[in-house]
Amino acid sequence: MAQTIRVVVNGRTVERSVPERMLLVDFIRDELGLTGTHQGCTYEGVCGACTVHLNGEAVKSCMMLAVQADGEEITTIEGLARDGALHPVQKAFNEHHALQCGYCTSGMIMNAVDFLRTTPAPTEAEIRHALIGNICRCTGYQNIVAAVAAAAAAMRARAAE
Amino acid sequence: MYPRPIGEYHRPASLHEALQLAGSGRGGAIYIAGGMSLMQALKSRVAEAERLIDLNHIAELRGIAEEDGGLTIGAMTRHRDLAAQAGRLGAYEAIADAAAHVGDRQVRNRGTIGGSLSWNYVAACLPTVALGCGAVVRSVGTSGERVETPIDAFQKGALTTALEEGEIVTAIHFPRAPAGAGSAYRKWGIVHDALPVIGVCVHVQTADGRITGGRFAVTGLADGPARSARAEAQMAQGFAATDAAAISACAAAAAEELSPPGDAWVSADYKKELIAQLGREMLALAAARATGG
Amino acid sequence: MTTMHKPLIGTSYRRREDARLTTGFGQFIADIPVANALHAKFVRSDRAHARIRRIDVARARALPGVAAVLTGEDIREVIPSLPNRSTQPLLPAHYPRHWPLAVGKVRFHGEPVAVVVAEDKYVAADAAELVEIDYEDLPVVTDPEAALKPDAPILHEGMENNIIFEMTLTGGFTPEEQAANAREVDAIFAAAPHTLSRRFRVHRCGVTPLETRGVVADWTRSGLRVWMSTQRPHIDRLVFSDLFAIPQNMVHVSAPQDQGGAFGVKAPVYREPIMIVHLTRLLGRPVRWIESREEHLMAVSQERDQIHDLEIAADDEGRILALRDRILADNGDSCEGVFWGFVMPFYGAAMVPNGYAIPKCDIHVRAVATNKSALSPARAFGTLPGRFAVDRMIDILARKLGKDPAEVRRLNILRELPHVSPTGVHYDYSDYLKVWDKLIETVDLAGFRREQAAARAEGRHIGIGFGTSVHASGVASVALVPMEGQPGYGSATVKIDSRGTVTVLEGDAPQGQGHETAMSQVVADMLGVDPEAVIVRVGDSVATPFASGTFGARGGSYTASAVALAAKALRSKLARIALHDARRNEEPDSVTFAGGKLIAGDGNPLTTFADIAERVIMRPLDLPEGMDASLEHTAFFEADFPMMSYDAVAVKVEADPETGRFRILDVTVAADVGNIINPQIVEGQTHGGIVQGLSNAMFEEFVYDANGIQLSSTLEAYKIANAADVPPMHVVHANTPCRHTPLGTRGMGEGTPGPVPGALVNAICDALAPFAVEIDSLPIRPDRLWQALRAASAG
Repeated sequence: MAQTIRVVVNGRTVERSVPERMLLVDFIRDELGLTGTHQGCTYEGVCGACTVHLNGEAVKSCMMLAVQADGEEITTIEGLARDGALHPVQKAFNEHHALQCGYCTSGMIMNAVDFLRTTPAPTEAEIRHALIGNICRCTGYQNIVAAVAAAAAAMRARAAE
Repeated sequence: MYPRPIGEYHRPASLHEALQLAGSGRGGAIYIAGGMSLMQALKSRVAEAERLIDLNHIAELRGIAEEDGGLTIGAMTRHRDLAAQAGRLGAYEAIADAAAHVGDRQVRNRGTIGGSLSWNYVAACLPTVALGCGAVVRSVGTSGERVETPIDAFQKGALTTALEEGEIVTAIHFPRAPAGAGSAYRKWGIVHDALPVIGVCVHVQTADGRITGGRFAVTGLADGPARSARAEAQMAQGFAATDAAAISACAAAAAEELSPPGDAWVSADYKKELIAQLGREMLALAAARATGG
Repeated sequence: MTTMHKPLIGTSYRRREDARLTTGFGQFIADIPVANALHAKFVRSDRAHARIRRIDVARARALPGVAAVLTGEDIREVIPSLPNRSTQPLLPAHYPRHWPLAVGKVRFHGEPVAVVVAEDKYVAADAAELVEIDYEDLPVVTDPEAALKPDAPILHEGMENNIIFEMTLTGGFTPEEQAANAREVDAIFAAAPHTLSRRFRVHRCGVTPLETRGVVADWTRSGLRVWMSTQRPHIDRLVFSDLFAIPQNMVHVSAPQDQGGAFGVKAPVYREPIMIVHLTRLLGRPVRWIESREEHLMAVSQERDQIHDLEIAADDEGRILALRDRILADNGDSCEGVFWGFVMPFYGAAMVPNGYAIPKCDIHVRAVATNKSALSPARAFGTLPGRFAVDRMIDILARKLGKDPAEVRRLNILRELPHVSPTGVHYDYSDYLKVWDKLIETVDLAGFRREQAAARAEGRHIGIGFGTSVHASGVASVALVPMEGQPGYGSATVKIDSRGTVTVLEGDAPQGQGHETAMSQVVADMLGVDPEAVIVRVGDSVATPFASGTFGARGGSYTASAVALAAKALRSKLARIALHDARRNEEPDSVTFAGGKLIAGDGNPLTTFADIAERVIMRPLDLPEGMDASLEHTAFFEADFPMMSYDAVAVKVEADPETGRFRILDVTVAADVGNIINPQIVEGQTHGGIVQGLSNAMFEEFVYDANGIQLSSTLEAYKIANAADVPPMHVVHANTPCRHTPLGTRGMGEGTPGPVPGALVNAICDALAPFAVEIDSLPIRPDRLWQALRAASAG
């Protein structure tokens, strides 16, 4: 009723014995203490607060088992900043006031980062469509959409340098 | 909520290995594909898994390939990979229409076409597209026997398919369509990209600017996706691909024929109206695609 | 040289909270590490109304890892029931007696019946499945009108009917005065050239926050320690103290530094935290409960749900002469500390006249118990249904008179302020007309009407709709004491330490409002220090002065005022000491605090902020006579007059008369929020409020079937607007500084969702005016609009 898994989390390999039924989000939060990944649903997997990267792609960590991450790479919000420098999406969220309570923010940012990797120059409609899997109760989304657009522009400018 | 205890978790690297695991005679095996529906069921405890067999690492189940002029999609191909094919699917653009709006980005990054067809939820997009496009479901049972099942026979009702215990969907084949074919899918939900209240997939065959036949499938019904015989009969009788009145009449016939259940959110009358609305839009779009318009 | 001091108040200083929240280092209730904690899981009723025959917990208790399983029978003699002195307001009402677990019978689907405590949350869930409950079903009532019928099942023992609360809010305090008022209203109706009568209904919906509730409690020899998601830690402390007979000074309640939204939902005293406190005392170990979304949607966060039978009398120009409203609220089981479901509809009834000059009103409200979850507070606090009713009625009147609804609305907007409404609510000085005119100018109404006519000629149907909202800017004690049994004052402590860094302590418990940033701005301006060096601590019942909590737009009104007063007192003290040290005889007010320095009136620097702080605290020698070394000041702020803020909203839509589908083109809000501390924060909260209003109007709906079974307990069923569902929003201001706060600020945010649904439906009906469609109930979705269009065309 338990299985040993090895997962690269935020660049560090961790090895743990976990019950087969443990959700990936609980592994991240309870086993690894990375509480920046949040939970907002019971079982439906709709709110998106638990979004992390699985091998670079945004997934909902409440909709996977920890054993499914064996041998894979996970990045959480805590692992997004590199060498102490915030990701442009993190910076843009502050500059554009894209968060209030901050509960959806981790998942929102993780999804946006993956989205901009695949869509570097999105339209507003594309941004809105990309964020459907992340519910925000506070902001009404307008500033989030602005932040993602601004981050995209900043990343394009940086890439052009 | 948390799943009930899971006895074993297996991660086969090949189809053969997966079938062996399932067919070990012990029963209680459940396959997990993308898991976007199964995890809901496990977490809410409406389902439990003595042995969970994860299909995510079987390379032979993934990929989109042309085959005899048709299209074969590996069962473990994810929605986002199908959505990325928009504009390149010829007669089967409906697949990308549907895949691009399943759930949300995170769901599309995990969810698979084979998982969706195997689950056959009453309000699902890909099963409706498979039905509307006349797909053939390829599967293999624990005995190793390979089976091809026309979609109409594969879908047996809400959450029910022709799959036997231990049988795995390996691919969905969309047969070669003659020139002048086209398809389209669209759904309507209460919020953007929600589970469809009603979704309509239309596949048309055209010749010389006229619709000469086709399939008309609807999701949002009590017993899973279904076709409209009356709409298809009108398509078989034929009408000009741009004949708005004929298109409306065809969609209206589907709305008349099918009986979606009313619920606390949307009335049965309006669901019928949605069949008519979406049917018109999808007939026109499929016809435009078919005629290069 | 005096360096010019550039004030931070009024600037969009970037939020200080974001550094941790964008990197995953916030600390929410579920993130608080408590060693050795047990996990609690509630077993909830699977039916709406039933007698509990027997509960068998043996199998659950026997599961390895289970520490305890308790039922109502186990606690009824041990935990006092509610109401108690700290959870009962002063309003005359039936306050149904209840315990944290159902005793004898269940009254709604989702009511806690038993609780399981285990070493592991997965095991707790396993054990919860093993609790066997034998029920005897009782007749169910899920409709407030049915609940009023003589043969209706009665929910609460000892009551003769299901009426929890009933009040006439107009005319005076005696039945005779009220009857006289009603006769005057009748006479106005009889003589008026126009009268209208409609039934408006707003469905059950609310503002469920993304973070659910949670409690971690630990009973130790030194007392009770509780961390919980709450808007009012000091009130929770009082309640735990009273219920468990623990001296208040041995109860320590903290709201986490970060809370994932609340919007009112985390304000009441609910069953579950009481149970968790009992469990830690019983078991001698910390106990943790993190609510699931399913529990949250079933047990709390349900509001609105009112019927308004509204009548107005008007003159030929559209001036409202009198208003009569009979309000019926579906109050659910009504078991909810402090609010009891009915406080929201009560307040909503009091606010029916809104910012309109209605000379005479006759307003009566009833709140009725049904087999549903009790109404619990949601942003706009009881007012949303009344806003919808009155703003819809003004448009219906305008149509009847053949006038533009904007013109009729403007005619009725209050011009004389301050004002006492017909329900006795005080509005402070402002200029609502200025706000309205700003809105009309911003949306370019005349241009829109031209555009609308041109679109109609092309067969497109666009429309504009309006709504307005006067809303409490904080709640003064004169209102809050009777309503909730609590004071309204704001409080804060400002402390300067011996190295000159500043700490603000406030007893409120914000959940995203940006207090750390806003209060830092206030303190930085007052004391001339770097805002980044200011620490704002919130939500701790031991560290902070008593306060009623974060709700009702108290932050910008009451709490910021207390912070300003406390900082001002310290500033004055420091100035006096600096002048004393410099042997100068000027007034303390002549000293400027800027850039970490104290500068005399003649521009000469006196000292640095850090030096004077150290000098006072560490070297308290030769202080001015009568002065001590304290650089800690606590201020309590009570406004001398209840204060309001004001919103006017315009929604533009395009609607399709064939399909009933509609698209919102944009939403504009013009507001008076007084002087603004941080424009970016104010704008952000306004956006959020608009979308909550839209989402309530179109998507969100708590659905019960005829047997009272809840069908909306997931976020798949309870639909909340996503990023692709919302239109562009514009926020503009026409502010009148508040005369009653030291900074001229008002509170904002609470009222924003209220007028939005009415404005939306007004816009849809405006777009479809050629089809004579009238929508008087919510939610508004294509289905209902299509049905209404069909009915209208059938004639």
